[in-house]
Amino acid sequence: MPEDILVDIKKDYVLSKLRDGERIDGRKFEEFRRVEVKTGVIEKAEGSALVRLGNTQVVVGIKMQPGEPFPDTPDKGIIIVNAELVPLASPTFEPGPPDETSIELARVVDRGIRESEAVDLSRLCIEAGKSVWIVFVDIHALDDDGNLLDASAIASIAALMSTKVPASRFGLGEDFDLPVNDFPVSVTSLIVGNRFLVDPSRDELSVGNTTLTVTVDRNDSIVAMQKSGDYLLSENLLDQIIDASISASKKMREEVLKQISKA
Amino acid sequence: MSRPDKFIINGKRLDGRLPDQLRPIKIEVGVLRRADGSCYIEMGKNKVVAAVYGPREAFPRHIQDPSKVVVRYRYNMAPFSVEERKRPGPDRRSIEISKVSKEAFEAIIMKELFPRSVVDIFVEVLQADAGSRTACINAASVALVDAGIPMKGMLTSVAVAKVDGVLVLDPMKEEDNFGEADMPFAFLIRGGKIESIALLQMDGRMTRAEIKVALNLAKKGAMEIYNLQREAIMKQFVEEGEENA
Amino acid sequence: MRRIVLPGDLLSTNPKLAGHGTYVEGEKVYSRIIGLFEQTDNSIRVIPLKGKYNPSVGDTIIGIVREVTSNGWNVDINSPYQAFLPVSENPECKPGKKLNEILDIGDAIIAKVMSIDPRMRVTITMKDKVCRAIRFGRIVAINPARVPRVIGKKGSMIKLIKSELDVQIVVGQNGLIWLNGDRRKVAIAEEVVYLIEEEAHTEGLTDRVGEFIRRRKNVQTG
Repeated sequence: MPEDILVDIKKDYVLSKLRDGERIDGRKFEEFRRVEVKTGVIEKAEGSALVRLGNTQVVVGIKMQPGEPFPDTPDKGIIIVNAELVPLASPTFEPGPPDETSIELARVVDRGIRESEAVDLSRLCIEAGKSVWIVFVDIHALDDDGNLLDASAIASIAALMSTKVPASRFGLGEDFDLPVNDFPVSVTSLIVGNRFLVDPSRDELSVGNTTLTVTVDRNDSIVAMQKSGDYLLSENLLDQIIDASISASKKMREEVLKQISKA
Repeated sequence: MSRPDKFIINGKRLDGRLPDQLRPIKIEVGVLRRADGSCYIEMGKNKVVAAVYGPREAFPRHIQDPSKVVVRYRYNMAPFSVEERKRPGPDRRSIEISKVSKEAFEAIIMKELFPRSVVDIFVEVLQADAGSRTACINAASVALVDAGIPMKGMLTSVAVAKVDGVLVLDPMKEEDNFGEADMPFAFLIRGGKIESIALLQMDGRMTRAEIKVALNLAKKGAMEIYNLQREAIMKQFVEEGEENA
Repeated sequence: MRRIVLPGDLLSTNPKLAGHGTYVEGEKVYSRIIGLFEQTDNSIRVIPLKGKYNPSVGDTIIGIVREVTSNGWNVDINSPYQAFLPVSENPECKPGKKLNEILDIGDAIIAKVMSIDPRMRVTITMKDKVCRAIRFGRIVAINPARVPRVIGKKGSMIKLIKSELDVQIVVGQNGLIWLNGDRRKVAIAEEVVYLIEEEAHTEGLTDRVGEFIRRRKNVQTG
């Protein structure tokens, strides 16, 4: 977009609106942008979801295949999360192996899924010690208008919820729904001074890369946290953000479930 | 290693510690000749060494920032540092750790004093034993002081885990591997007090209330470690003075 | 012994007194480096014990030529920043003489810092009586933070070394020191410099240095 040259001007605009207690798009401080979730968009994948969060777009595809279990968990399936921030998604993404930002994104999304035990890995055993289902969660960024992380997390869980285990393809019986028991929602806030803005847009992120992500499960327990960016966080602000994240996650979960069930 | 049945027996952890006790710590400053600043730390069985080079000219030119210093942090595990040999080179975990650690230091180094240059922080884990990333940050913090880099204050790092529903300070290997949650922190300490959080991560499952308890436990542990960091740094000068007393 | 402070140590609640080595945040003065705390009536400062040389205009420095360009020389001044010596600032320049014949890669010079732009591009000059190309003598390098001790209050330490050993000594603010004179006396001077570097933070150093020099001289003559 030609406006990238205006980054510094945008930053001033965001900050001046903040001084008036407002966000540039009129949202409340704890409000997510409008979310749109479509599952089953990639028929060749075992599961998939396209998510639009504001103008940010991410597609997640789930591929599954039998493989060897990890030695210390011989009867549990394996989840592998990878994120590709491909160049088409942003003028600042360069081709090449994953950089620290995409690695961090994948690992934080992974943590949310894993620690909430959203996928029941014990139901993914084919033959203990020899063969289990490997679930590849591949995040493909399409358009970075800020907060790819939360969009990716939503797309990942939505894709998993719509995944069918391709047992028949491998002669392992009938296909079955991937068992998904929880719906972790990651809530990322941009921190500016002693304020925080949930689900920052790219324009808001022109102020800085200083964020805190809190991932919350269905029972309001926190399953992952990640402070990212070069800033110092006060205990007071941390408290406020955790509170806001818990309530924002509830709203997001409700909205996404509504959209998925309608489909 | 197999999962222990219980982590806390009669109020004591598997290695005999109470929930709010740190593992033994040893800190040595100025251990490397070539580096501008250096520090060796043992925390439990972690053995890490940190070296700081800089500020120095930034190469290649394109990484230079005309208005401030660029901070680089490389967390690396030696192949022999863990039970099963680790292939040399950065893996995804090391890259993430390097990123969040770098950011913690970027928040306290006075970057505007050295435009167009770079401060390199290299930390090598020679032996890993749960909490290596916190040991590395503690070593790097001391190495930065040893290198004379201007900073807002010092960083001290420690982790808290949850095992058998109990929050424990400075987790050991079994607690780290099989625990219900793991939360590393790094704090900026200024004026002798913990002021703010420079690094924060969590994975596992914790309630809001538990997070608060964990934070206070971490703060207590961090103050103890900070005093050890100070002592180690001051030791270099006291010794020299005593020789001539 | 003066109190040693570390980054983040609270020094005062009076921001007006904040001096070198400190910073102010929220009406409080903190140390930003490891150093010796010094308080006078109108200032609080921290004298650095460690750290790279950060050039200041007017500093006398010793540098090593790293590159000859079309209009001057790029000089390593033991700092995160290289310095530039323009042709116009080198009195040895004569028309017709090639630049690398005047100063070549590896040559050492005594120069002064003339100007520093906001991007920390440093320009040096040799138009001052202390400046010259170093063609003889010995150069030693110490931690630049210890230089003030080698110079001493109002140059007292340098005067002591000069008078006791009868050597020429030029101390660069960047930690490089040039010594010239009788070979054995220069050797003692070098030892003295390292002694000062190691004990810079202690008291009574001037006396101990005097003692040290006398002992060494006795050993040499005895």
